[in-house]
Amino acid sequence: MDTFNFSSSDFNAVLITLKLALTTCFFLALIGTPLAYFLAFKSIRAKPFLESIVTLPLVLPPTVIGFYLIVFFSPDTALGKFFIILTGEQLIFSFYGLVLASIIYSLPFWVQPLQSSLEKIGNDTLATSESLGASKFDTFINVIVPLSKKGFLTSFIISFAHTMGEFGIVLMVGGGIHGKTKVIAISIYDHVEQLSFGKAHFLAGGMLILSFIILLTLFYSNKRSTVRIK
Amino acid sequence: MTNLFVKITGYVGDFFLDFEHKFNTNGITVLYGSNGSGKSTIISVLSGFINHLETKIVLNDKSIENTKKFPPHKRPFGTMFQNPILFEHMSVSQNLDYPIKRNKFLDQTLLSKEELINYLELGSLLNRYPKNLSGGEKLRVALARTILRQSDYLLLDEPMSDLDIKTKAKLLNFLKMINKQFKIPILYVSHSIEEISQIADEIILMKNGKKIISGSVSKILNSSSFQRLIGKFELSSVLEGTLIKTDKLMNMTALDVNGQILIVPGTPGLMDKIVRVRIRSRDIIVSPVKINTHITENELEGIVTKIYTEKNTAFSELVIKLMKSKIKKTPQILRARITTYNLNKIKIAENKKVFIYISSVSIDRQAYQY
Repeated sequence: MDTFNFSSSDFNAVLITLKLALTTCFFLALIGTPLAYFLAFKSIRAKPFLESIVTLPLVLPPTVIGFYLIVFFSPDTALGKFFIILTGEQLIFSFYGLVLASIIYSLPFWVQPLQSSLEKIGNDTLATSESLGASKFDTFINVIVPLSKKGFLTSFIISFAHTMGEFGIVLMVGGGIHGKTKVIAISIYDHVEQLSFGKAHFLAGGMLILSFIILLTLFYSNKRSTVRIK
Repeated sequence: MTNLFVKITGYVGDFFLDFEHKFNTNGITVLYGSNGSGKSTIISVLSGFINHLETKIVLNDKSIENTKKFPPHKRPFGTMFQNPILFEHMSVSQNLDYPIKRNKFLDQTLLSKEELINYLELGSLLNRYPKNLSGGEKLRVALARTILRQSDYLLLDEPMSDLDIKTKAKLLNFLKMINKQFKIPILYVSHSIEEISQIADEIILMKNGKKIISGSVSKILNSSSFQRLIGKFELSSVLEGTLIKTDKLMNMTALDVNGQILIVPGTPGLMDKIVRVRIRSRDIIVSPVKINTHITENELEGIVTKIYTEKNTAFSELVIKLMKSKIKKTPQILRARITTYNLNKIKIAENKKVFIYISSVSIDRQAYQY
C-alpha cells in the first residue's frame, strides 16, 4: 500500500500546471481580447467564419487537435524550424509547445464569455463615448473594461480551469516529460496506471476541490450579472 | 455666425441619400421627415460614424474630411443619439465629468457643469447611478453631458420622443435658451410637428433621402410639400402671436396675431413673448357673414386667396390670408378644410372676405410650452 504523500515529482507537476495555466491566460488576454472585441463590435461578412474557427477546439476531439498540433510543431515545418533557430530547442515536447497548444484549445473559453459580455454593452455605448471626445482606446480602457469586468473574470477563470484540466492534447504535444511537460492531469494518469491510488487521490482530490472553488467563486460573483458561459 | 455646409451622396444599404444644405443660422435647424427619410444617417455621417459616403462638410470655412482619419472624438460636433446612453458604471456627476476631462481646450466662459446642473435640475441626482434614474432624468443628464463637450455644433437626434408633454416643453425651452444665450447652433432631428413648430428657426424637410424644401417655420409648415407629407388628417397652420394678456382666473391667454386677437387656453408664457400655435384645418369654421351670436372664443377676419377642391372626396381646402395687419408684417396664412357641399352652400369664393371661427379648445395645447 502506498501512502497519501506528495512527492517532489508531484510538486513539480503542480508548479508546471500553474505556470502553464497562468502563461496561457496571459497570452489569451493579449490575443483573445482583441478577437472578442472584434467579434462583438464589428460587423463583417467573415464573422461566422471567424467564429467557427475560434469555436472549433470546443467541438473537436482532443486527439484530433493534438494530432494536427504534432504535425505543425514538428521540426520539419516552418514553425518548428523557426522555433529551433530561436531557442535551439524543439517546439514539440517543450513547455512553450504546451503553451502554444493551450492557447489554441483554450481560445474559445476566453473569447466566448468575453464576447457575449461585450455584445451586451453594444455599439451605441461606444459611439456615445467617442462622440464625447474619447478615442477608441480611451473608450476601451475607461468604458468597456469596467463595464465588462465580469466578462473578463469569467473568461479568466474558465480559461484557467480548462487549461489546468486538459489531458489529451497536453499528453500528445508535451509527451508528459517529467519536470518539463508533465502536468497534474498526466501525473494522475501515471499514478493510476501504476496503481498508486493514494497519490492519485491526493492530486485528483486537490483538482476537484480547486475546480469546485473556482466555479463557486465564478457563479457567486455572477449571481446578479447577466454574463453566462455559453 | 456659424456657417456649415453639408453635402452627402451615396448608398446606405439599398437606401440612396442625396443631401445638400447650407446651414446659415446660429439658431435651431430642424431636420424633419418620416422614419427612413435619412435624418439619422445625416447625423451619423456628421459625427463620424459613417465614412463610406461621398461627403463634403465645411464648418466655418474649415473642411472636415469624412474619413477614419477624422474620428468622432476629433470632430467639432456634439452628438446626442436617440435613446441616449449613460455610462452605467459612473455616477451622474462622473458622467458629466467625462467630456470635461477629455477636453484639452476647456473654455471657462461657456456653460459650466454647475450652471447646467442648475438649469436642468440635476443637483439631487449627482451621486446617483444611471440604473436608478427615470427616462426623463437620464435624458437631462445626457443632454447636459453633450453640452459639456463644448462642441461647435450640437446634433440632437430625436431626443425627446419618449417624454411627457410637460418635461418636453421644459427641455425645449431650455434648448431655445442655451441656443440664444450661448450661441450654440443646434441641428435637431424630429418628426413631431409640435416640437418643430415650437423651437425651429429653420426647417429642412426630408423625404426618401432627399431634401424637399427648406426655410423658415411658417414657410415650411404652410407649404404644400409639408402638408402632403403629414397627411390630410393632420393638415394644419401655424400662427404666431405676441402675448398681450393673461387671465389667471380663467387660465386663458390672449395673443395678438397681426392685429387680431386669438384666445388660447393656458398660460404659455410672459408678456410680449412670441407664441406659436398650431391649428388643424379641420377645426376651423368659415362663414361669409359675421355671426352675431357668441359661438366661439375667436373670430378672425381674412380673405380667401385660393380654393382647392379635391377630386373624388367630399372635401375642399381654403387658403385664407388673415387681415387687419396694422404692423408691417407679412400676412399670416390659415388653412381651412370644409366639405365641398358646405362650400357651395355658403357661397365662398376666391378673393372674398370671410369670418373665421375657432374654438380655443381645438388649439393644440402641446404646441406651446408652459
